[in-house]
Amino acid sequence: MKGTELKQEDLEGLFKRLLEKKAVDCLVLPHKVGNNVAYMLVKDGDKIESPAASAIFAPSFGVNAANIVKGWTIPERVGIVAKPCEIRAAIELMKLKQMDKDSVLLISADCSGAFTNQDYADHAGEIGDWVDSGKINELKDKGIAIREACAICENRLADVGDIIIERVDGGKVLVAGITDMGVEALSSTELSLEDKDVERQAEKEKIAADAKKEKEELPKLSSVEELEEFLRDCIGCKNCRDMCPVCYCKECFFEQPLGKPVGGDLLNLAELRSAIGVPTNQLLYHLTRIYHVCTTCVGCGACEDACPKNIPLTRLYPMIAEKVQEIFEYEPGKDVEEPLPFITYEEEELEEHLR
Amino acid sequence: MEEAKEGFEPKIIGFTCNWCTYAGADLAGTSRKKYPPNVRIIRLMCSGRLDPMFVLKVLLNGADGVFIGGCHPGECHYIKGNFYARRRIAALRTILKQFGLDNRVRSEWISASEGDKFARVMKEMAEDIKKLGPNPMRDKIL
Repeated sequence: MKGTELKQEDLEGLFKRLLEKKAVDCLVLPHKVGNNVAYMLVKDGDKIESPAASAIFAPSFGVNAANIVKGWTIPERVGIVAKPCEIRAAIELMKLKQMDKDSVLLISADCSGAFTNQDYADHAGEIGDWVDSGKINELKDKGIAIREACAICENRLADVGDIIIERVDGGKVLVAGITDMGVEALSSTELSLEDKDVERQAEKEKIAADAKKEKEELPKLSSVEELEEFLRDCIGCKNCRDMCPVCYCKECFFEQPLGKPVGGDLLNLAELRSAIGVPTNQLLYHLTRIYHVCTTCVGCGACEDACPKNIPLTRLYPMIAEKVQEIFEYEPGKDVEEPLPFITYEEEELEEHLR
Repeated sequence: MEEAKEGFEPKIIGFTCNWCTYAGADLAGTSRKKYPPNVRIIRLMCSGRLDPMFVLKVLLNGADGVFIGGCHPGECHYIKGNFYARRRIAALRTILKQFGLDNRVRSEWISASEGDKFARVMKEMAEDIKKLGPNPMRDKIL
């Protein structure tokens, strides 16, 4: 990778130059809204607020940024500056052909775990713009905990996309291009790039070990009865689907007559089974959705944030998806060239999972 | 409950591909192999046509077992349909396993000449599912 160290406040200039030099036509990046952080799509660099770094590292999760550029298939290039899980989701969308590889520039920034945007707004003063694992533990003792999805996340360091922004000691950042497209974009901003090789293996392993420990402590769902109880409060609003970055069907099965029966269809079903639960297909919806996202789920936890009934969906979707990803030895969002498990095969494989 | 189990005849839904397993079932019939009549076969053109949602749906609707049959890998009439099917079924069973439902789902590769194998698998499956008892989903309000 080729990169350079910058002062945090210089990031702002970098984003402006990316726009100015036409490395990107527009840029999705977080900005401060009152106490909180939200995404904006910037056309004119002058609108990038100072200090930009305070927003891009702010530990707040609202919407998954991949959702914003889902369906971006126009030639004009958009850049997105987001957390690694969001960039991973974007890479999955590229593989799913929901986004044009050449017209989206992916810029991932280090993350230490994030709070829901409500929690962040309520405690913005205490949390601040820049947290590390020590600060997170300190806040946890005060009763302000990061999202469950973040607590069990093993991939918080920026290592995916075209450009990465790493946090370095002394309030500095390392900006580096890790693909040709990324290096080209950075070069166009007239930064003097040099070969960088930053070793963060030890840090990565520590994060993964801590995350695994957290994961083991989560309650597991191990029977249909437990799943039913878990989903008891579900009202079938399907927000978990709408906010999921990797759920992408133009028309969902559960919006069609078979998936969402009305009138006579509903009556027929009730007659068939003597009585049916309504809204219908609650269990089928969630089980089908698990299957649909089982290889592509990046574990961002957007589903849980979106649930109006506060069902802790992180204990369902990412936890089950992980088991499926294990059998295919597939890590979603790692490499845009790696094929999705369901569109490839080996001639001899998986027999032990079939019966 | 034990009593109910004894007189219990499981209902198994079988998804079979047109070219191999369905023909295998046909052969079992024409060569007068005996096997329990618990399976209701739904013929698909290829095991690759099986949307895993079919399996979820029949399980939730109370089927006691699901059988999926296809050509042996490498012998698919459509060259690679069953290779894709195998990946989907493996993923689906991994999910079902988390909820203890995987023992009601079985898939086998049965060619058109394997009438014997079809009869044997049906017999084994009927016995296995009898031991498991009825699908609790059958009487639930879902």
